[in-house]
Amino acid sequence: MTNLLAKRQILQNAGYVYNFDREVYVNRKAKKVFSLEFVEDNSEDDLRTRIDEDPGGQAWRFYFNAEPSKAVQEELEEILG
Amino acid sequence: MANRTIEDRLREEYFELLPDIRRVLEELEARARFKIMPISLGLDQYERIVIRSRVKECESALDSLRRRQEGATFDREHPDEYTLTNLRDLAGVRLLVFPRSHLEQIDLALRREFSHWEADHIRDSEASDAPLALKYHGYCGASDRIRGEYQIVPMLTGLFWEVEHAAIYKPAPQLRGVAREPAMQERTRAVLKALGAFEQEFEDLIRRSYAASNEGKSE
Repeated sequence: MTNLLAKRQILQNAGYVYNFDREVYVNRKAKKVFSLEFVEDNSEDDLRTRIDEDPGGQAWRFYFNAEPSKAVQEELEEILG
Repeated sequence: MANRTIEDRLREEYFELLPDIRRVLEELEARARFKIMPISLGLDQYERIVIRSRVKECESALDSLRRRQEGATFDREHPDEYTLTNLRDLAGVRLLVFPRSHLEQIDLALRREFSHWEADHIRDSEASDAPLALKYHGYCGASDRIRGEYQIVPMLTGLFWEVEHAAIYKPAPQLRGVAREPAMQERTRAVLKALGAFEQEFEDLIRRSYAASNEGKSE
């Protein structure tokens, strides 16, 4: 199994679903979004750490390589929420 | 009047660029055909070089540009950051080649013709061996705004990409992101590997058969 497939499995096991229009993994319950680029560029351990992170409030958390702007966050929240 | 969206502005840009895109495609295809003509004319009966050219469609261009952003989302606060001239494949030519032994010869001929163009070969992200296809982009005389792109691809790989595009992504461009999903990448990798092995076996058999037949004639 490739590294990327292993990461996908970690995300799936944690309840994340791939959104193919926005190319992100989303968990609506946890209110977290992982970009595909972030998943590709970070280790499996990093992913687990971020998945387990306490969201600390009602706001969505975006795990992107480059912090998305407020406008991008709002649009994604609207689409994914 | 309601504010125009980034997509509206890009659609307007597309149709303003379209004459340039067509001119680039025409020049690119003509030069490629001319340069590989000596190779085409010398092909054996079973060998083929097929040239396909296409102008990227408007919605496909917009979708490509959007998908280049992380999270596949335009930043509405910075609409001016986006221009279709950043895309390298608005005008594209693909050369499908069988057998693969001609790839190098064609590559050399076209590299001489488009000597300032930049290589950006298509590789399997998880394999370090030869690229899946040779890809180049750059400007030609027809336009200084639009880049052209040409690809040299083994026949079966190129035909698989065409079928995949025609059957899935052309009718439903929003599904393009499915291809990047890791499990789909794994499946695609397996298909391309199988097609490569099939082509290799086929080429080896034909080569051996021709060699044996030529030996017979010379005796």
